[in-house]
Amino acid sequence: MTDALLTVDSLVKEFPGRRSFADWLARRPAMPVRAVDGISFEVRPGEVMALVGESGCGKTTTGNLLMGLMPPTRGRVVLNGEDVGRLSGRGLLRLRRRVQMVFQDPYESLNPRMRVGDIVAEPLRVHKVVAGAELKARVVAALTSAGLTPVEAYLRRYPFELSGGQRQRVVIAAGLALEPTLLIADEPVSMLDVSIRADILNLLSALARDKGIGVVMITHDLSTVAAYADRIAVMYLGRIVEHGPTREVLDNPKHPYAQALLSVVPVPDPSLRRRPVILGGEAPDPSRIPTGCRFHPRCPLAFDRCPTVDPPLMAVNPSHQAACLLLEEHGQPA
Amino acid sequence: MSVVIEATQQVVPAAEPRWRWRAFLKHRLGLVGAAMLLFALVLAIAAPLVAPYDPEARVDVTLEDIFQKPSGEHLLGTDDRGKDVLSSLIYGTRVSLIVGFTAAAIAILIGAIVGIVAGYQRGWVGSILMRITDFFLVIPDLALMIVLVAIAGPSLGTIILVIGLLGWTGTARLVRAQTLSVRERKYVLRAKAIGAGDAHVLRRHILPAVLPLMLANLVLVVSIAILEESSLAFLGLGDPTVISWGQMLNFAFERGAISAGAWWALLAPGFAIVWVVLGTTLLGTALEDAVNPRLKRHHLEAPGSDVAPDRTSVPLTVAERDAPPILQVRNLSIEFATDRGPVRAVDGVSFDLRRGETLGLVGESGCGKTTTVLGIMRLLPPGGKIVSGSVWFDGEDLVGMDGPTLRSFRWTRLSLVFQGAMNALNPVRTVGDQISEAIRLHAPQTTKAQAAQRSAELLERVGIPRRRASEYPHTYSGGMRQRAMIALALACDPDVIVADEPTTALDVMVQAQILELLGGIARDFGMGIILVTHDLGVVAQVCDRVVVMYGGVVAEENEVTTLFREPQHPYTQQLLLSFPDLAHPDRPLRGIPGTPPRLDAMPAGCRFEPRCPHAFDRCQVERPPEYPAAGGRASCFLLDPAEPRT
Repeated sequence: MTDALLTVDSLVKEFPGRRSFADWLARRPAMPVRAVDGISFEVRPGEVMALVGESGCGKTTTGNLLMGLMPPTRGRVVLNGEDVGRLSGRGLLRLRRRVQMVFQDPYESLNPRMRVGDIVAEPLRVHKVVAGAELKARVVAALTSAGLTPVEAYLRRYPFELSGGQRQRVVIAAGLALEPTLLIADEPVSMLDVSIRADILNLLSALARDKGIGVVMITHDLSTVAAYADRIAVMYLGRIVEHGPTREVLDNPKHPYAQALLSVVPVPDPSLRRRPVILGGEAPDPSRIPTGCRFHPRCPLAFDRCPTVDPPLMAVNPSHQAACLLLEEHGQPA
Repeated sequence: MSVVIEATQQVVPAAEPRWRWRAFLKHRLGLVGAAMLLFALVLAIAAPLVAPYDPEARVDVTLEDIFQKPSGEHLLGTDDRGKDVLSSLIYGTRVSLIVGFTAAAIAILIGAIVGIVAGYQRGWVGSILMRITDFFLVIPDLALMIVLVAIAGPSLGTIILVIGLLGWTGTARLVRAQTLSVRERKYVLRAKAIGAGDAHVLRRHILPAVLPLMLANLVLVVSIAILEESSLAFLGLGDPTVISWGQMLNFAFERGAISAGAWWALLAPGFAIVWVVLGTTLLGTALEDAVNPRLKRHHLEAPGSDVAPDRTSVPLTVAERDAPPILQVRNLSIEFATDRGPVRAVDGVSFDLRRGETLGLVGESGCGKTTTVLGIMRLLPPGGKIVSGSVWFDGEDLVGMDGPTLRSFRWTRLSLVFQGAMNALNPVRTVGDQISEAIRLHAPQTTKAQAAQRSAELLERVGIPRRRASEYPHTYSGGMRQRAMIALALACDPDVIVADEPTTALDVMVQAQILELLGGIARDFGMGIILVTHDLGVVAQVCDRVVVMYGGVVAEENEVTTLFREPQHPYTQQLLLSFPDLAHPDRPLRGIPGTPPRLDAMPAGCRFEPRCPHAFDRCQVERPPEYPAAGGRASCFLLDPAEPRT
């Protein structure tokens, strides 16, 4: 699609693996750890896309790649027609103005010695976009968009004077100051109180809707994104194993991992005590990716071909794909 | 202070060096040190006005003038050249302070630059700088100084330079450690993600964090510099053209003060050195304490019991005693000491727990749920006190118990799985060992083999293969460690397990495993479980009954199905509306406006009143009692039968 704001194409990121003493003795080379293993997706302006998976699935590395915080091993991240991985120096600086990140921990990600006004102004000062009265106006506008009104009540306060929700709004305001086209939110609400989470999520989706900002939300919690994301991509060991519109994925999950992940989300309704599909084994380890389908050792539905064939993403319908051999009878390779 | 109260909750903002004037002003010894130093400073500045004689003035000396005893004319006697000791002492203050402060300034400057560069540039530049620092740290300072001063010639400038150039290593290490920790902070990462360069990060983020620590360190370096100057002068390497205390000692020593019995010529400069060094050290330590919270003993840590002496216990009624639930919490109130007096974190909480029942204790951070269970376990953090109420456990009041009885109670009858417990295993002992130890501690007659056998069984029960009992915790994943902690909690077959956010920070899949495990344990062993959590989904899935807390009180209690279907308290209703539900993903979520109340600024009436959509006049002025509602209870005036609105 040409109207995509962000295009991620066959993205791969490898980290040098640890080489044990035994490996060194046996002159075995260090095996690279493949944290992200060939993922592709697109985000359109005004769209909220959720990357969902357990720790070790590569979702945070993906976020860092999108930010240009590290170069990809292979593949491309194209933002507004520019290849992020190829940028350096001035180009990278220009990119930073268009992609902003909202971090998980609003308690840690604000400098305790800076006032709110200075925190929000910091990106503008770093990039020397505007100064003087215009800078002030931009700061006020950003704080207003982040819902911190009346602005005057917040400008001169220090982070420790604010609640967790307010701090996360300050982080978002600092991200908005540069008027970015893409926001990457890494677990934006997991550290916040339950009663405040909805407000932050509502704010992010309103920003997408009203300002046409693309939002990539990275989370392990399906329930928090269910009401906010337009599309969901479920990741497992560096791959997207299922990808589609939110309702499609929630109502009709095709990959056994997505099904299991959905079944273990606790639902606040005691009459719906479901039998969760609890996967055995431990959290997946990206330094030891199984052969064939990478999910087969934990898969309750695995059959003889799974340990040998690595399934590609196959179309369930034109907008919904999943990478499971069980789909072969019904779907075609995408 | 709100920060202090938050610290007892889940989210602890990392401690950072910051000037804490209040903390400093409370440090009495520090104030004494500051006063001592100020006195020396005033003397140094006002020396010509204060000193009775001018020590530089040339006077003809007769033999009687030498080593005169202290008298009205010479308050501290005279020295070997017949000069007034007091005057020399006062003028010597100037040299000591000048040398001390200038040399320290040089040392701090070098140390700060080396430390910041080494901490921020961790590559080879940093490594080389740190090796150089280590080298200077191990060579004997004084010996090198003597050599350098002897070569360069003993002038005041040389002495200052030498002391400064050799005294920066401690500062460098301190500053490097601080820089390292700050550069790993999230806000530095965020600044870099914005696109900030090194200069910006150093100026705006690193330097402000390092500066207070450096200034506190400066005072300590001053005292070392003064000592070193005195040592050099005493050894005869002082600047001969100025008067310093070390010089005075040196002259007195070499020119027969001891044989002349002139103790004043030795004691006076010695006392002056001790005075200034003691003053700076006291001040420096106090500053360091005030700046660096880790060094400080918790300032709220009050010696004594965690139970107020005038606590009112709450006896059980006859009916309650006859068919007792295993745990009965009655009117429990807990206060924390703060700078501004006590604040009440838990206020009159009551609930029961039956055998085989899983009770959910839910609420947001700061609502008092963790404090409540810590109070039940009598494990309150420093500054926390049970001011009233009782915790009846199988007929005995835990709050009234003495230490030894309590210790025998804990773990054998009442054990705890706490938040982040997976980090509570000892890394240098095998998991099996640690479980065996807990068993043998409470049942000393158990043999080692029996204990090992039992710990293997327990591990198996929580889903960890027997063979892994002999492995160390670091080979376990996070979820396995949490399961091992549950095995540890089960070790002595307790009647009640308190699980405080046992699945926070774990992945959803692991969370499901742990919750299923806890549910199975309650069923199989007939234990009572108190599950403290903020996750309503978890409560709905595993609990039998729920206590909702808000602002330190019970907002509502009910059986789980009713609570979710017919929530009575507006807070419960709002909380359910704000909680995402995968079964109804289209339902729009609504946050609760406002924030939970701070413990030191509790509303006078109902604690939820400022955020409540149904609040009316009475809610502002009166605290609602608990009313029976929908088979449970809730503290809200809307449920008052006498209230016309209902």
